[in-house]
Amino acid sequence: MRAYFAMMRGAYMIGLVYRFGFLFNIAGNLIYMSVTYFLWRSIYQNRETLRGLTFNETYIYVALGSAVFILLKTYVDWQMSFDIREGNIATYLSKPVDLQLYELFTSLGFFLMSLSAITIPTIFLLIFVFRIEVPLGIGLAIFPFSLILAYLLSFCFDYFIGLLGFYTESVWGLSITKEIIITVLSGALIPLQFFPDAIQKILLWLPFQAIYYTPLTMVAQPDLGWGTFLPMLGVQLFWVIALFALTRLFYTQAVKVLRISGG
Amino acid sequence: MSLIHLENLSKQFKILNRREGLSGAFRDLFSGDYRTVEAVAGVSFDIEAGEIVGYIGPNGAGKSTTIKMMTGILKPSGGTLLVNGLAPYDNRIRQAQIMGVVFGQRTQLWWDLPVIESFKILKEIYKVDQKMFDRHMDMFNELVGLKSLHSQQVRTLSLGQRMLCDITASFLHNPQVVFLDEPTIGLDISVKAKIRSVIKELNREHNTTIILTTHDLGDVEALCQRIIIIDKGRILYDGDIKRVNALFGAYRTLKLQINNFSETILQTLKSKLIECFGAEHGITIAENEEFWTDVTIDQARTPLSDVLSFVMNNFPVIDVRIVEISMENVVRKVYDGALK
Repeated sequence: MRAYFAMMRGAYMIGLVYRFGFLFNIAGNLIYMSVTYFLWRSIYQNRETLRGLTFNETYIYVALGSAVFILLKTYVDWQMSFDIREGNIATYLSKPVDLQLYELFTSLGFFLMSLSAITIPTIFLLIFVFRIEVPLGIGLAIFPFSLILAYLLSFCFDYFIGLLGFYTESVWGLSITKEIIITVLSGALIPLQFFPDAIQKILLWLPFQAIYYTPLTMVAQPDLGWGTFLPMLGVQLFWVIALFALTRLFYTQAVKVLRISGG
Repeated sequence: MSLIHLENLSKQFKILNRREGLSGAFRDLFSGDYRTVEAVAGVSFDIEAGEIVGYIGPNGAGKSTTIKMMTGILKPSGGTLLVNGLAPYDNRIRQAQIMGVVFGQRTQLWWDLPVIESFKILKEIYKVDQKMFDRHMDMFNELVGLKSLHSQQVRTLSLGQRMLCDITASFLHNPQVVFLDEPTIGLDISVKAKIRSVIKELNREHNTTIILTTHDLGDVEALCQRIIIIDKGRILYDGDIKRVNALFGAYRTLKLQINNFSETILQTLKSKLIECFGAEHGITIAENEEFWTDVTIDQARTPLSDVLSFVMNNFPVIDVRIVEISMENVVRKVYDGALK
């Protein structure tokens, strides 16, 4: 296990090397948060609630969503596809490490990097610049756990697309498609409450909502109580275990078709 | 039992037959038109602990594919392959612990991190204890002088420095066998010499088995006692280097650039050389590249200097290069029955 933590530490240090990228990320995020602030302000004009959500709840959901969005991007699919095409995958496979855990811990290093460089500053911005009152409640306490589970889920999807790279070499189209599906169906852009009821019901049965809707709801509506949050965490945990197992199984198939060209 | 055992090992790849042009690319989307390429076709050999074996052959001969099967990266299509008694592919993680690999065209180091950080990560990956790690680092410093590079980012290293670091890294966990796939590719003479001496030293120090693929026959001459030549997925020769040495050791190719070169000049050159040195002179002439005529000379039979001065005196030569015989020529000579 120490090996994987060493790789995580290495990835964190690489993140530090590219620290200026984070400044631009924070600046970009700030602009996005301003735009959504005024957008939702005008949507909520003369209205107390929309679909049961107050402005404050919706805005916390959407603004935090944009910060979490950057955080949950693992880029594992792009990285793996690059490594498969360039043949670098051979050097990973020649080491006594498990590919799934190698990719996971490397991406966790970047995760911790963006957590400390983007997410936490964004939360400060929310509280001190936009003067959003973050409602206190048990949801807030559970949020970190939910976020970690959400990250693992996001990783599973990216790793799955990365494994498809063993077959297709380039995963450009697949990655974009995955990105769109997850963004729309997970409630990353707008809370699931804003979807038509029938669609909402279907979405709750899919794994996507466990990535964004679950952790964001915990902060936006922290008073829903254990009765709501525990089943939500349970569903997240179920999907994490299921998708981890499925991608592990898929790996044993995918690695068989590996072809390394050029040297 | 030998450390590495291959018996009738083969590997086939299925490759999509791609068509030309944009419309071809579209039709390829729905194509089931695959052809099978046999990269390795029934290879057998045994390698004992402590050997340095040169595994050579021209481009696309199947060298790298064999290496990738021995390291457990690729799954063999058929035959038996055992390293230290186990099948590498089915026991990849366990087997990786006793192997070291350098792929000359890529690095196993972390591109954006300082060299020493890569070593530290590898130390954890291979579970090398601190004492052994320190001892190894000291030894490598003595051998290669790496200490000055420790704080440098890997991507700022020169190719030669990076290769020395990569080789060092592959020996870090004191593996039983190290695969060096083109370790001297693209390096200049002095760095090549250094790398050769380091490899030799490391082999001597721990009796590490080394399997070396290379294009540079100089590497093989300097390092190996045994050589395996492979072409088109089949073994052409497996044995003592001394017999092969006679093949490429004595041969030199004289590359000539002749003013106003034409087919007639080539013919005159041929006939005059035969006239002067006799028919059985061990000289072959070929026009391999534009403007360059290759005269390959067996120095055991005809002194190179004689041929050179004869050509210089009789033909309007603009430029001359003398090169060692190429891998392709060695393989061609083996095909022609030179080792039979």
